[in-house]
Order: sequence, then C-alpha cells, then structure tokens
Amino acid sequence: MGDRSLTVDGYCTLGVDREYDLTESVLLEDMDCAGVDYAVIAPPDRYLAVRNREGNESILRAAHLHRDRFIAACSVNPWDGENAVQEFNRALSQGARMLVLHPLVQGFSANDELAFPLLDLAASQQVPVYVHTGPPGNSTPWQIADIAQCFPSLAIIMGHCGATDFWNDVPDAAAAAPNIYLESSLARPFHFARYMAAVGKQKGIIGSWAPLNNLPFEWDQMRKFLPPEVFLDTSGKNLLELLAKRGPL
Amino acid sequence: MIVDCHTHWGKVWDDRDGGNPAQWLSILDGHGVDKAVFMGHTNFTRMDLCSQENDRLARTAAHCPNRLIPVGSCWPQLGDQGVAEARHCIEDLGMKGLKFHPWVQGFSTADPVLGSICRLAGDAGVPIFFHDGTPCYSLSEQIAGLARRFPRTRFVLAHAGLLWNWRSALLATRLDNIWICLCGPHARAMELLCSRADPQRILWGSDFGFGLADQIEYRLNLFLKTRIPRSLQDRILGTNAIDFLGLAQ
Repeated sequence: MGDRSLTVDGYCTLGVDREYDLTESVLLEDMDCAGVDYAVIAPPDRYLAVRNREGNESILRAAHLHRDRFIAACSVNPWDGENAVQEFNRALSQGARMLVLHPLVQGFSANDELAFPLLDLAASQQVPVYVHTGPPGNSTPWQIADIAQCFPSLAIIMGHCGATDFWNDVPDAAAAAPNIYLESSLARPFHFARYMAAVGKQKGIIGSWAPLNNLPFEWDQMRKFLPPEVFLDTSGKNLLELLAKRGPL
Repeated sequence: MIVDCHTHWGKVWDDRDGGNPAQWLSILDGHGVDKAVFMGHTNFTRMDLCSQENDRLARTAAHCPNRLIPVGSCWPQLGDQGVAEARHCIEDLGMKGLKFHPWVQGFSTADPVLGSICRLAGDAGVPIFFHDGTPCYSLSEQIAGLARRFPRTRFVLAHAGLLWNWRSALLATRLDNIWICLCGPHARAMELLCSRADPQRILWGSDFGFGLADQIEYRLNLFLKTRIPRSLQDRILGTNAIDFLGLAQ
C-alpha cells in the first residue's frame, strides 16, 4: 500500500436512494475505466441523517466483499450523542477507516461542540474525518479551520473545498492549520488546480463523489488540469498516508 | 447549434485584450459553441462604473453581433438612475436581457426599485438572469418570489440552484415564467432537473470568462456525459435558447 502509483478516489457514495444510484458493480466498472485502484465508499444521505447503523453495515459489507478495491467510511449523527460514539466505535472495530460528517444533512454546524466527542474519538483512533463543506452557514472552510485547530492531531478533510460559494476562503482557511486536507469533488478541476498551487500538493485529495458526478470523467479532467506532479500526490499518495496512520489497509 | 447562456466578459480579458473578443471567442470555437449570452463583470462589482461598463460590453459584443448576445446590469440602490440604466440597456443598447447578482451587488430582491426594473423588463419582453443558489440575497426561492410578483416577466435562475439549492430551483420551475440554466449543479442534479422540469425551459451555461481558464471544456462535457437523452441535450444546448432569446438560427 506504500506504492506511490496507487490511485484512490477520496469519496464515493455507494447505494441506491433518492439521487444516489451507485451499485458495487457499476462503481468497480467505473474505477477500472478510470484507472482507479481504490475508492472510499460512504452511505447515502438518508443513512447519514438517520439509520446510521444500517448504512454503516451496508458499506462495511461491501468493503469486506471487495477489500482490494473499497475503503469503508462510516457515519453517525452527532445528535445521537453517546449512541453515536458507540456506533462509531463499533464501525471502527468492523473495519471503517474514515468518519464522514455532513452538517447540512445531519443538522448541525460544522464547528459545533456537539460533534467534539466524535472528533475526540477519531483523533485517538487516528481516523481521518471527512466533512462535507459548501452549504452556506453550517459548513464552510473557516468552520473547518476552527475544528482543525481544536483537534490538531486529527486529519480533517474539507470535502468539496467549500464549493460553490466559499472558494474565496479556501486558501487562507486551508493554511490556518496543517491538519486540513482539501478534497476535490464539486470544486471542479480548474479551481482545484488553483488551490493546490496556493496551499501545496501535499494537501490535496482527488475525489469524484460518484454517482453525483461521473467518476471516469472527473478523473479524466483531473489528469488534464493538474500538473503531473500534483496529480501523482493527490490521486492517492496523500490519502493513503492518512489512512496508514491507523495501520495497513 | 450550441448557445452558452452564461458567460462573462471578465475584467482580465478586457484588461488584456482591450475590448477585442477574438481570443475569448477562440475558446468557444474550440468547443463548437456558436453563440453566448455575454454578461459583464465590473458592472456587478462597481456601481460607479456600471453604466460605462454596459456601454463597453455592448461595444465589445458588436465585434461579433451574430455570436455575442450582450446582457447588461444596473443597481437598484441608485433609485431612478438605476431604472434609467435598465431602460438604456434595453432601448438604446438593444440588449436582450438584464443580469443581476444580488449577493455581489448587495441588494435584496425585496428592493422596490428592483420591482420597477422587473416591471420594465416584463413590459419590454426582456428576460432577467439572476445569480441563484446563494444566501442571503440570491436564493432560488427569492428569485421565484419575484416571479410570483411579476408574472409577465421571464426570470432565469442562472445557476439552477448551484450545488446545494438545486431542489429549490426545481420547485421554482412550477412557475411558468421561470427558466433554469444548467450552470453549477452536479451531473446527477442535471439529470434529475431535466427529467422533472419543463424541457422547454431549460438552458445550459458554462460561466466561462471571469478568469482566463477554459471552463467550457469541463462544463460542456459534464453535461454531455450525463444520461440526459441526446434529443433533449440538443434542445437544451440550442433550440431552447434560440427560442427564449428570440435569436436567428
């Protein structure tokens, strides 16, 4: 897994619900088409908001079936308090390698201390936390900077780089703490290239957020827009280093 | 026939090319884009320069009148002078639309002077493009509020709700004087918008031109690679815009 040439899609939603319609076979096919070795998989919105265990189970099952291709991300709703902490712990024990928080869908502000017990656990277990950002008001780049500064040993992934409205804030907010990483989906390749130039290629993670975006197309565009040395690091190396802190995949 | 219904004559282009759109048009040529709704830049950021920027935009578009469709702006904060500028754009400059960016321009859609401008545009049969998808002045719902108050005026949600507000844009299309421009939502949202909104009131745009980067490559192929039926794609890219703006083929 230390191989520099491995590619990892930093965020995909696996499952069929509302706008999501991604099955395991289609994801594998798309990954093959795009030359992607691994994909981080997470549950659809409904299972981020409610029925967390059901969503986590589905993702963990898929990751166990395809352990050479999928990396499980779990989610719990911070409003569930101690139950959320327990479910997060349980998912970790079953092989989850990332925590996903979606403040818009889960109904909290990204820097609300409501989520701190989960961030504490993630930090102690050396698990990166992916936070969907961009929805105005409750999940913005500077809110990510707040929690990154409160949890300096925790790797925080700024999903979507605050797209669309907060593109102005991204370079300064990302530079505010060394433990912030930028994930590319929705940010569009021309903007992501600019962010990498501003904050450094060691902070970037390419993600497609399939099926909301077309995975092969997103990867093709990243290859076109990013300088080769930036693509090399952001297409797998950076994320694999974060994931490896907890141990080999 | 491809009509890009959301472009800008950016300040960087004007500074570099001095009112000559040849290089700008060469980007369109590279993607087979025939015509473009040609919006400004400085007229959204400088109240004091808005009028001269509208004139400049019209002069720049006049280099290629069969391809560039200039759309002007004005500032409701200027009261009667703002209304007069809207009239100048329509009657003197022959512009086929107005464009507002309430978030950047800093006015509310509840501004009574904006109401006068909406009424003027409706009387003249000229549509109004709005930046949408962004609080606190540019939500799709707020533009839909104008559409309710001014049923004889056609309104374009120029970003179809962007990434997080597209369901609001979809709901807004139940008003028959609302058009949506697919310029901002992710691929899956575009598919769902096209499957549920009136197919005659959907346009496509790239937002190209604020900077020098070619955004058309990404935005056009993002749209073309969706599962939207080809016949509808063709209609959205061409026929709808031609009909909506009353253009010659």
